[in-house]
Amino acid sequence: MIRTGKIITAGLMAAVLVLAAGAANAKDKVKVGFIGPLTGGVAVNGIGGRNSADLAVKLRNADPKAKYEYELVVLDDECKPNVAVQVATKMAADKDIIAAATHYCSATAIATVDTYHKFGFPVIVWGAVLPDITYRNKYAEVHRVNGTMINQNDANAELISKLGYKTVAVIHDTTDYGKGHNEYFSKALAKIGKAKIVGTFGVTAEQQDFTAELTQIKALNPDVIYFGGLTPIGVRIRSQMDKLGIKAVFDATSGIVSDAYIQGLGPLAEGTLAFREGAPTEKLPGGKFFIEKYNAQKYDNPPEAYGAFAYAAMDMILNTIEKVGPDRKKVIDDLGNVKDRDSIVGKITFDDHGQNTVAVITKYVIQDGKFVEWDESEYASGKRKLPGQK
Amino acid sequence: MDLGLFAQYVMNGLMLGMMYALVAVGFTLFFGVLDVIKFSHGDVVTVGAFTALAAFAGLHQLGFNSPWLDLVVMLVAGMLAMAALGMLIARYLVMPLRSAPALNTLLITLMLGTVLRESVRLFYPQGGNPKPFPALLPRNSIDLGSFNLRLDNVLMLAAGGLVVVGLQFLLNRTKLGLAIRAVAQDEETARTMGINFTAIVLVTFAIGSGLAAFAGVMNGLYYNEINFGIGLYLGVIGFSAAIIGGLGSIYGAILGGFLFAGLQTIGTVLLPFASAYKDVFAFAVVIAIMAWRPTGLIQEKISERV
Amino acid sequence: MNGYEPMAEGAERGEKAPAPLWPGLAALAAATGYLIALLAAENQAFIISLLAAGIAAVLAAAWLRLLDRASRSFMDHEDALAGCAVVAALAVAAYFHEDHFVLLLVITVLLYTVATLGLNIQFGYAGVLNFAGASFFGIGAYTSAVLNAHTAIPHLIVLAFGGVLAALIGSLLLLPVLRTRGHYAAVVTIAFALLFKTFLEVNDVLGGPQGMQVPGMKILGWTFNDNIEIGKISLSFYMNYYVVSLLLLIGAFVVVRRLERSWIGLNLDALRLDETAASCFGLDVVRWKITAFLIGNFLIGIAGALFGMVGSFVAPNNYTFADSLILVSILLLGGIGNPWGLIVATFIVVIVPEKLQTIQEYRFLLYALLVIAVLLFRPEGLLPRPVRRYFPGWRP
Repeated sequence: MIRTGKIITAGLMAAVLVLAAGAANAKDKVKVGFIGPLTGGVAVNGIGGRNSADLAVKLRNADPKAKYEYELVVLDDECKPNVAVQVATKMAADKDIIAAATHYCSATAIATVDTYHKFGFPVIVWGAVLPDITYRNKYAEVHRVNGTMINQNDANAELISKLGYKTVAVIHDTTDYGKGHNEYFSKALAKIGKAKIVGTFGVTAEQQDFTAELTQIKALNPDVIYFGGLTPIGVRIRSQMDKLGIKAVFDATSGIVSDAYIQGLGPLAEGTLAFREGAPTEKLPGGKFFIEKYNAQKYDNPPEAYGAFAYAAMDMILNTIEKVGPDRKKVIDDLGNVKDRDSIVGKITFDDHGQNTVAVITKYVIQDGKFVEWDESEYASGKRKLPGQK
Repeated sequence: MDLGLFAQYVMNGLMLGMMYALVAVGFTLFFGVLDVIKFSHGDVVTVGAFTALAAFAGLHQLGFNSPWLDLVVMLVAGMLAMAALGMLIARYLVMPLRSAPALNTLLITLMLGTVLRESVRLFYPQGGNPKPFPALLPRNSIDLGSFNLRLDNVLMLAAGGLVVVGLQFLLNRTKLGLAIRAVAQDEETARTMGINFTAIVLVTFAIGSGLAAFAGVMNGLYYNEINFGIGLYLGVIGFSAAIIGGLGSIYGAILGGFLFAGLQTIGTVLLPFASAYKDVFAFAVVIAIMAWRPTGLIQEKISERV
Repeated sequence: MNGYEPMAEGAERGEKAPAPLWPGLAALAAATGYLIALLAAENQAFIISLLAAGIAAVLAAAWLRLLDRASRSFMDHEDALAGCAVVAALAVAAYFHEDHFVLLLVITVLLYTVATLGLNIQFGYAGVLNFAGASFFGIGAYTSAVLNAHTAIPHLIVLAFGGVLAALIGSLLLLPVLRTRGHYAAVVTIAFALLFKTFLEVNDVLGGPQGMQVPGMKILGWTFNDNIEIGKISLSFYMNYYVVSLLLLIGAFVVVRRLERSWIGLNLDALRLDETAASCFGLDVVRWKITAFLIGNFLIGIAGALFGMVGSFVAPNNYTFADSLILVSILLLGGIGNPWGLIVATFIVVIVPEKLQTIQEYRFLLYALLVIAVLLFRPEGLLPRPVRRYFPGWRP
């Protein structure tokens, strides 16, 4: 009896030791978050961003030097402001989630900044371009790695004026995103002073039928139609332009830089202009590394235009947590001192509003079903001509 | 406003009116036969459009590429599938509830509409995103001044008109039509005259749902795009149009459809700064009409048992 | 005269001995415990098994006639049990005093219940169809958004304003609603629901599709949006809103119950069941329909105003026709005309999809299927409305 007792005790002690050793090796789990539009018209961008953030987490978990084991919590904001506020509240209210990379749609990002501030939840925006997101308030919680729309609209106005166009009609969606584009483009065009805006039309983000606006635009007969909005209505407007026989240049913004635009229009997409801050993914400093690792994971969708930024945002969050530990306040303090940190999109510095500066603007034109850089295109060299190009 | 612009607005209005009229005719047919409002009719339009799109994808997989063949197959597939769906709905959801208060049928069909809509969104691959619809009609157009007359719009208008005329012919000149009108007028007498009530009801639902599929394909061809939400919008408009014209009257439904489209076009012209206001305007007018004439412009004769 | 038995005292009035209190108490305690467990659970497998166990327990209780006993004790001791329900609600709040999200969920349930109680007055008592419930909710929310941001009106009065405005705008619809019956009446409110959302989206004054932020509630200097610290215990700031919502629900519930049992409720029931007969008896049909419609909208508006402040954000997309249909489904599911049924149904409709993440996407589909099943097989709903009691102590 006593012998059995000793054996059992020994066995129990051994078991406890093994468990303790195992526990000592097991890393603490830390949760980080990602919010993006995973359903709806711009889902491909959200899914690309999510895959990129997931890649960052996976690569970090595979790194034996990492102090923590990370788990990515993903929520869908459906590119709708009200849903975004709900999921932002849900994520920020969960004390286990330390920080998140958030939002592609500007409409959702601007709606949620107050929520993040209320809960003291640090976030880094990866895709939304509206300047107000970082500049309307001075919230220590909100940061952004991608650029704002001011620079892309400057470049846009410059190209239009350089090509000699005189009249522009503006269509924009009525969310803060579209209104922002309208505001900055109008200012930039007025500053150059060569072209003028003959009409401005606001449309709702889910509008189906644009024949009313386009019929009025047809009567105004502009050289260029500028569109400030996202891919789903961009596709509809371009195809209804064709139906009404309007032969102006379709000049759009980063909202349509997505394969979904080309797929939706087929040959009609030819000759559309678009602008985007940041170099194309392959030309970024860490671009090749990112693309190689992304393809190795065999995701169903490509990273799309902002995938690299989502990766950079998540990577920065992970670096910060590694440095200061899983504590929201410490993360916020550290993100307040970001200067020249390395990332795949180049050196990141946050100004006093948490905004990174991205100097390069890429100009695109759609040629043969692909987004081609303007300077390398046949439109720039003169082999092909946009409608009305001299 | 110059003549060309005016003509453009008229053309837009006619196209919309044709689509609304087709949906409204369905509502009126169902009401006439069974005294029931099938709210899911709009979502049947959506399902019909998606079925046609699936047929198109299937055809392409098999390698057929002729636009006319594609169009015919899509229409046939969509209309037959929706006819079958309509019959199922009639048989299992509407007919059993005939003795229940009318409210229950209304609610059940509303919920059924939601089921259809959500099923398309969830179970069709990437159903939540708008889907490009192939442009199968010839794209030639003639420019008459500032008015761009497109061949495909003309074709669609003509096809819609033919369908409506065909329906009138069916109802007024054939035995089947006679049976449908008899059942709509007085169910019991029709039964004593030897008409198979259930069969006629099923056939009517099949016809109405087939029309819905036609409207769905037309919608897809006109906008070159379909998404899972078009049914709700078209359904409410079709219902309002049927009500304005007076439930139970085919002519009224067609009139109502074009009237609603006319209201929307007038709204766009009067309020050029935001064309979305056209919906606010049109619905407000509908509510006003309901306040003025509670059973529609063409009065319905109601008798109530006390 | 053979076989004649003298009746028991009071038996000619149908009086029987009142049912004991404990079945109702037991049911309430079990429900509260279950709710706390469900809200606290995180693991999906555990949640699914908890839900299955819950359904099995309810079915077993029904079979064993335990539900009958509980409902009878509820009927006889309603006021006492209602008081216990309030205590239970406070217990739930105390348990989750630090958890922001759970408190937010329960607040959502409380406020949706108030809104559905309003809908119940319109629909369940007076038979007036209202498919624009979410629109009136939205009117209340936008009222609190605008008034809180631009004026210094005390926030409690803002709540009342929300209700008043909802009732006022509802009165625009009065003429069509009164003159139409059945499906024609349905069209009026459905058209209004669509019109309202489009109007909000197009209108930049009210924020357009971007919506508006709503400043938090402040009563007598106590800011609701700051976390509370009492000694060592820190409470989530949602506790403030919880208390106010609970008070609102208690108020609405009391009003609805009193209304139902009063002569007003009797009039509404009469006119719902048969308008022609009611008008033959001299009831002013128009006046009662207007009363029901306005009171209902007032309740919905107040709930909306408070909810706007809780969520601190309003946008047109929150108040669509689909949301109105959800309120109607809650009404149907719970049992038209029965306020307790509403509470249960609201819990099911709001909490289960949040907990069961896997079905989040499918929740509209599942609601619709559930309502279709209920309409086909059990049109009275989960907790059907009990027969009206004409004398105290009388039981069917």
